[in-house]
Amino acid sequence: MKRLVALAMTVCLVGTMLVGCGAKESTSETKVEVNEAAESTDETGSTESVDTASAQAASGNVTIWYYWETEGHQKALSHIVEEFNSSQSDITVEAKYVPFADFKKQLSIGASADELPDIVILDNPDHAAYAAMGIFADLTGRFDVSTYYDGPVNSCTLDGKLYGVPFGSNCLLLFYNEDMLKAANCEVPTTWEELQQVAEACTTDTVSGFAHCALQNEEGTFNFLPWVWSTGASSYEINSEGGIKALTAVKNLVDSGAMTKEAINWTQGDTMHQFIAGNLAMMINGTWQVPTMREEVPDLNWNVAPIPMDAQQASGLGGENYAVIAGGNEEAAIAFLEYATSEETCLYMMNAMGYISSNSTIAEGQFEGDPVYEAFVEEMNYAGARGPLPEWPDISNAISLAFNKVITGASTPEEAAAEAQSTIDGILGN
Amino acid sequence: MEKIKKFFKYDNVGLLFALPAFLYMLVFIGYPIISNLILSVQDVTVRNLAKGDKNFVGLGNYMTLFQDGVFRTTITNTLKFTVFSLVFQFIIGFALAVFFNKNFSFAKPVRGLLMIPWMIPMTVTALIFKFMFSTDVGIFNYILRSIGMITENVEWLTNTNTAMWCVIFANVWIGIPFNTILLSTGLTTIPQDLYEGAAIDGANGIQRFFKITLPLLRPTIESVLVLGFIYTFKCYDLIYVMTSGGPVNSTHLLSTYSYKLSFEMFNYSMGSAAANVLLVILLLVGMLYLKITMKGEEE
Repeated sequence: MKRLVALAMTVCLVGTMLVGCGAKESTSETKVEVNEAAESTDETGSTESVDTASAQAASGNVTIWYYWETEGHQKALSHIVEEFNSSQSDITVEAKYVPFADFKKQLSIGASADELPDIVILDNPDHAAYAAMGIFADLTGRFDVSTYYDGPVNSCTLDGKLYGVPFGSNCLLLFYNEDMLKAANCEVPTTWEELQQVAEACTTDTVSGFAHCALQNEEGTFNFLPWVWSTGASSYEINSEGGIKALTAVKNLVDSGAMTKEAINWTQGDTMHQFIAGNLAMMINGTWQVPTMREEVPDLNWNVAPIPMDAQQASGLGGENYAVIAGGNEEAAIAFLEYATSEETCLYMMNAMGYISSNSTIAEGQFEGDPVYEAFVEEMNYAGARGPLPEWPDISNAISLAFNKVITGASTPEEAAAEAQSTIDGILGN
Repeated sequence: MEKIKKFFKYDNVGLLFALPAFLYMLVFIGYPIISNLILSVQDVTVRNLAKGDKNFVGLGNYMTLFQDGVFRTTITNTLKFTVFSLVFQFIIGFALAVFFNKNFSFAKPVRGLLMIPWMIPMTVTALIFKFMFSTDVGIFNYILRSIGMITENVEWLTNTNTAMWCVIFANVWIGIPFNTILLSTGLTTIPQDLYEGAAIDGANGIQRFFKITLPLLRPTIESVLVLGFIYTFKCYDLIYVMTSGGPVNSTHLLSTYSYKLSFEMFNYSMGSAAANVLLVILLLVGMLYLKITMKGEEE
C-alpha cells in the first residue's frame, strides 16, 4: 500500500514538473522538497521513477560544510560558489564553515539527528568511516574519476563503490635547509643511513638535525607511515620485519639526538615554524606549507627532496574529498561538483590553496616552472592513502601509540610493534 | 475561575515560579544525561550511528572499559591530577589569602592583580606553559641551566614520568586565584574583635590561626575544596592543549579519554560510558557537598 501511494505521488510529481517547467524558481524549489519527502517515505520500491524525477530537477539549495580556517582557502571557495550561483538560476549553493576540531563531531551529531548538509569537504582518511555509516551517496557511474590519481580515488572508495570525489591532494616530502646542509658539508640524504648521518652532522646545541610531526593522533600517523611503507610493509603489518625496522630507524634518530623528542608534541604547523625559525635542519612536511613558508621567510634557502627511503620510495597522501550526502539534494550537488572540478575552476581553487589537483591531467600542467611544486606532483605517484577502512581511526591509534612508545623510550621497537599488531589484528578480526 | 484563584494562593505560586527552571533543567540537563546513559549501554560506532540497529549490550561497555589498561591509567591519572592540584592550590591560595588580608598598602590592588591567571582563557595559559616547558627552547630549562641546577635539558612534557607533574604545575598556577579570592572573602567575615580579644588573652599568631581562623572559615574551606575538586576533575582544555593526553597516555584524564574514544576513534558508546564514570564520581562528590552545606545550615 505504502509503495503504491509513493508511486502515485512520484508519478503526479513527474507530471506536474513537466507541466510546470516554465514556472518560476520558487515553485520548482518547493516541488523538489515534496519530491524528497516522497523519496523518504518510499523506502523500498519505485526508486527508478524517483530518480527520473530528480534528474530533471537539478535545482534547489545545496549546502556545503568545510573546515578550512585559512582565509585564502575560504575566499577561494566562496568565490567559486558565487560564480556558480550567478552562472545559472536553478541551484543555489551555500558554504558553511565548521571548525576542524568540531567537524567530525558535527558530522556524527548531524548523522544521528538527520541534519546534514548536501556536500561535505572532508579529510580523506575519515572518508571510509563515514561512508560505512551510510551517510554518503553512491556515486559509482554518476561521476567520472577515470583520470584521477589512484591514491585519492582509493580514499573515497569502499567495497568497490565510489562514495566521493577527490577535491585536491597534497603529499609529504623532505624539506631541508640548504645553508645548514652546506655548512655541515652534507649532500641531501636519499637513504635512511644517509639521513641518520646528515641529521647527526647538522645537529648542534640549538639546531636539531631532523623532525617530523609525531603527535599521538592521525597527524602523527600520517607523517610516520612513509617509514613503514618504504620498507614494503603495509599499514597493517607493523609487527613485520619492515615495521620493526621503521620503528628502529626512528628510535636511532631520536637516541642519537638527531631527531628531537619534542616532535611528539608538535603539529605539522609547529614543525614548519621550528624549521623556518632555524631550529631544524630537515623536516618531513606537506605541500600546503609552501605558500606560508614563501611568504614568511622569503630569504631562507630551503628546498625539497623525496623522503629518504629504505627499499622503495614512499610518501603520505593527504587532502580532502567531496562527498555527497545520501538523501540530500543529490542531483544538484553533483551538478555543482561537475562545475567545481572542471579544469578552469579546479585550477583556480588549487592554485589559491597550494594544493595539487587530484585529476592527473590537470595536475601535470599545474605547476610548470615551479620546481618545488613539481617535486610534489612527481611524489604523488608514490603517495599512499591511509585505509580506506571504516576502522581506520582505531588502526591509526594503535600505530601512533607504537611510535610514541618508541620515541619516548617506553617500549623497545619489538615490544611496541607486537602490541600494535595485536590491536590491529583484533580490529581486522584476524 | 474560583479554582484558578485558589491555586495561585500561598505555596502553589512558588511551584509556578520554579517551573521554568525545572523545565530548563529537564530539557538541557536531564535529557542529555539520560540519553548518554542509554548510549552507554548500546553498541554504537560509525557503522550503525545513522542506521537504526543499535544493539543493547548491557554493561558490556563498562566491563570492556575497566579491562582496558589505558582506562585504568586514566582513572589513576585523574585522581592524581585532582588531588595534587587541589592540595597545592589550596595551601598556596590560603597562604596568599591570609597574607593579603593584612592591612598594608597595595594589599587590595595586588590581590586584584592575583586574579589575572584566573581570567586568562585556559587555552592561552596552556599554550604558554607548553612553550615554557619545552625541552630545547623552554624558559624553565634555560633558568635551571643558568643557575647550574641541571646540565642536560629536562624533557618536561615528552617524558612519561614528568609530563603529569608539569600539567599539575600549570593547573595549580591557574587555580590559586580561585582559592585565594574565595578564602579571603571568607576571612573578611571573621570579626576583628575576636582576634583582638585573643591577643589580649595572650594567644600567639599560630594559636589564633588554628583556634579562630580555621574553625570560623570551615564552611568556606569546604565549598572551596568541593568546587575545586569538581573543576579539576573534569579539566579538559589544559590537558588537550598541553599534551593531548600524551606522551603514551601518561596524562590522559577521564575527560580527554572520553573525547578521544567518541570523536577520534568513533566509538561513541565507549566514550559515553567513560563520561558516565566521570559523572558518577562527580555526583558522589556533589552529594557530599550538599550534605555538608545542609548540615551547616541546620546548625
